[in-house]
Amino acid sequence: MARASARAMVVTLRNLFRRPVTVHYPDVVRPYPDRFRGVLALTYDPETGEENCIGCRLCEYICPPQVIKVEMLKAEKRNYAKIFFLELYACEFCELCVQVCPTDAIIMLKTFDLAVADRRELLLDKDRLHALGRQFQPSWATGTGLRAMQAPAPRGGEKAAARDTAE
Amino acid sequence: MTGTDLLWLVGPPFLLLNGLLLFIAYLTLLERKFAARLQSRVGPYRVGRPHGWLQPIADALKLLLKEDIVPALADPTVYNLAPIVFLVPAFLMYAAIPFAPRLALADLQIGLVFVLAVSSLEIVGLFMCGWGSNNKYALLSAMRAVNQIISYEVPFILVALVPAVLAGSLRLQDLVDAQRGLWFVAYPGLGQLAFVAFLVTALASENRIPFDIVEAESELVAGFRVEYSGMKFALIQLAEFTHLFGVACLGTLLFLGGWLGPGPAALGPAWFVGKAVLLFLLVIWVRWSFIRIRVDQILGLSWKVFLPATLGLLLLAGAVVAARGGGGV
Amino acid sequence: MPDPDARAVIELGYGGNERLVMNMGPQHPSAHGVFRMILTLEGETIVAVDPIIGYLHRCHEKLGETLTYVQYPSIASKTDYVAAMTAELCYVRAAEQLGQIEVPKRAQYLRVLCAELQRVASHLLWLGTWCMDMGGALGGGATLFLYCFRERERILDLFEALTGARLLYGFHQVGGTRYDLPADWADRCRQTVDDVEGRLDEYEAMLAGNTIFLVRTQGVGVISPELAQEVGVSGPLIRGSGIAYDVRRAEPYSAYEEFTFDVPVEAAGDCYARYRVRMQEFRQSIRIVRQVLDGLPAGPISSRPGVKSVGQVKLPKGEAYARVEGPRGEVGIYLVSDGSTKPYRMKWRGASFSNLAVAGDILPGHKVADAVAILGSIDPVFGEVDR
Repeated sequence: MARASARAMVVTLRNLFRRPVTVHYPDVVRPYPDRFRGVLALTYDPETGEENCIGCRLCEYICPPQVIKVEMLKAEKRNYAKIFFLELYACEFCELCVQVCPTDAIIMLKTFDLAVADRRELLLDKDRLHALGRQFQPSWATGTGLRAMQAPAPRGGEKAAARDTAE
Repeated sequence: MTGTDLLWLVGPPFLLLNGLLLFIAYLTLLERKFAARLQSRVGPYRVGRPHGWLQPIADALKLLLKEDIVPALADPTVYNLAPIVFLVPAFLMYAAIPFAPRLALADLQIGLVFVLAVSSLEIVGLFMCGWGSNNKYALLSAMRAVNQIISYEVPFILVALVPAVLAGSLRLQDLVDAQRGLWFVAYPGLGQLAFVAFLVTALASENRIPFDIVEAESELVAGFRVEYSGMKFALIQLAEFTHLFGVACLGTLLFLGGWLGPGPAALGPAWFVGKAVLLFLLVIWVRWSFIRIRVDQILGLSWKVFLPATLGLLLLAGAVVAARGGGGV
Repeated sequence: MPDPDARAVIELGYGGNERLVMNMGPQHPSAHGVFRMILTLEGETIVAVDPIIGYLHRCHEKLGETLTYVQYPSIASKTDYVAAMTAELCYVRAAEQLGQIEVPKRAQYLRVLCAELQRVASHLLWLGTWCMDMGGALGGGATLFLYCFRERERILDLFEALTGARLLYGFHQVGGTRYDLPADWADRCRQTVDDVEGRLDEYEAMLAGNTIFLVRTQGVGVISPELAQEVGVSGPLIRGSGIAYDVRRAEPYSAYEEFTFDVPVEAAGDCYARYRVRMQEFRQSIRIVRQVLDGLPAGPISSRPGVKSVGQVKLPKGEAYARVEGPRGEVGIYLVSDGSTKPYRMKWRGASFSNLAVAGDILPGHKVADAVAILGSIDPVFGEVDR
């Protein structure tokens, strides 16, 4: 009994001299991995500066808790999203909307701390989503990237392998 | 009674009480930081950076400002009086504890008996807390507490008498003087066994892990304290910590040589407090390394193991004294 | 002013014969979730127990009927939220069994990898919370709890690098997996697994041989093999009672037959036996992880094209029952399809639901303190119990 107690106390003592694992958030922020599924945002095309979203509503249909609301605005060359609402307070962060987006418009960011005092501020409208996209670092995942990674054909497998090693 | 007489009458207890309050408050911080380091984390950190120096003050303020909820069906007299009955013996213990050869509030010929007797009064306050709350969890906890503390007071007192027998006196100053040559804990066999028995029975009388079945958070949520909030809760916590430190002081006096240490005699109180704090840290280390024992196993341990063992130790101490030629050292 | 009606309710609780009826309610530090037990105590001994569940019911089975095969896997992880990978795996296996869908080799290996890592993480949580229940939220139990979580965080970091999420992954999809390994993940995984194995020795040093621990767990909560088979417990509970039943051996799925591992069995049936079973399962899972990393084949991770729309997966009419060995036992899904993109009926067999059913039989006769030890060794997760 004495030996077992001594062993238990030695284990605790050994941990006394180990470095604490505490990360002093928010002074110190731990580095997020590339694929971190954070807050959602809408993107612009880097070359033309146009919005990527074409209002196709695929994300709205696939969202399990149905937090996305989109209305399409038809125009001459391409379509846009007239309204785009995302209820972040009910979002599950499952990344399915990112997966289906054909134009890589909706993405997830490498941040999660969007604490608010009023839940209505988490009802993100299109402007807010675009602003978030400009403000924070995007994660790796885009619609085309994810679909390429999952493609069954050998060509898709090579592409996926090449993408992984290039990361 | 002249002014200076009054000052000498009121001053020292006033100083002791307030100093003790502040010291105990910072002992809680020490426990939290030490426990945190044992668990690979940092304890209080932000309040009073960088090491949480203002945390006890913040906690005290918070508890002062909390709502004082009295359950509708609680017995108001018992419920409200209980924290005070719990607190007073804890502080009263310090009246007889000497910090240096001539630095004690009351120099009693039976100092040891006084301290042991007063510290046993705690159980009354504890039971009043549990009974007055009108809550089954509190009642269960209070019943367990009465069982456990009474069972462990007997071996505790017996083993505390071992140094008294070896020194031939019940006066606490004499006990420390008798350790000038060799601390009682260093006596071969007898000293170490008595010290270990003292520690274990003290842990059990204090409701510290591994014997904290009384307030087992995972079963009884807070045991006898479950219905208390605000300042009353603060008083109960304070009383527990004060009592614990008092027992650590007693252990220092009995086994670790009190104020004896290298250096000038004026360093005595520093040695005393230092040793008591080390003993306190040992208690914390034990607390955070073990899981708790079940109540029937605790009671079995007390009556079947510790009572015979401490009786045996007392007899052994008597034999040692008789072999030495009777009387004191 | 005391309410006279309230007093009547309280006095009703004392059922004569010095019996106390105590409610260990849904809000309780050791309820492992939301579990209510109405205990009838005689002194400190439990005489009768009335378990009440349902506080976490979230209509998973109805959700299964309204969400398609593409949407539901991320929701499946919320049943056994502590071991999300195995819960999702069960659902996609049922769908694949229904649709006769092949899963590529690499995906199967990745599934095994994640399931075993998940088992290690889940058992770490079990060990931490069990010791915390037995040792108090502010005692030695909490120390072991924080150590276990420190190790679990490392595994969750691995999962975060792989999927982007720490607890509810959405890793599986019908036909394979959603994510492939990042570049340096395999080395990180090996390093993490080595570190966790080293720390396991520390935990065993803290507990094994510790008289306090042995006295609290040996002979406590004995489940006899007959009772185990009658009630239908599975996982470490049944293996701790001497019956060597493991779904990975009984009905191998997802390439498990290609790996060598032992299935630990103990005969005593008490909490200590279940503890030993889970401690050995740690090491066996780490063994499997190492084998998977060594033998991981190249290739696609899904046999179906990447998800592009919500109605992409359409399964033929039929029914299928798929089961996996989750950390808590046999998790099963029974799917009935009517040929559309959504199931017609989906039924979850939660491992914890059947395991918890044994609590009513084994608790009477023990002390209150044993109730928490037993409940902890059953290791229920109420997402699975209430669904």
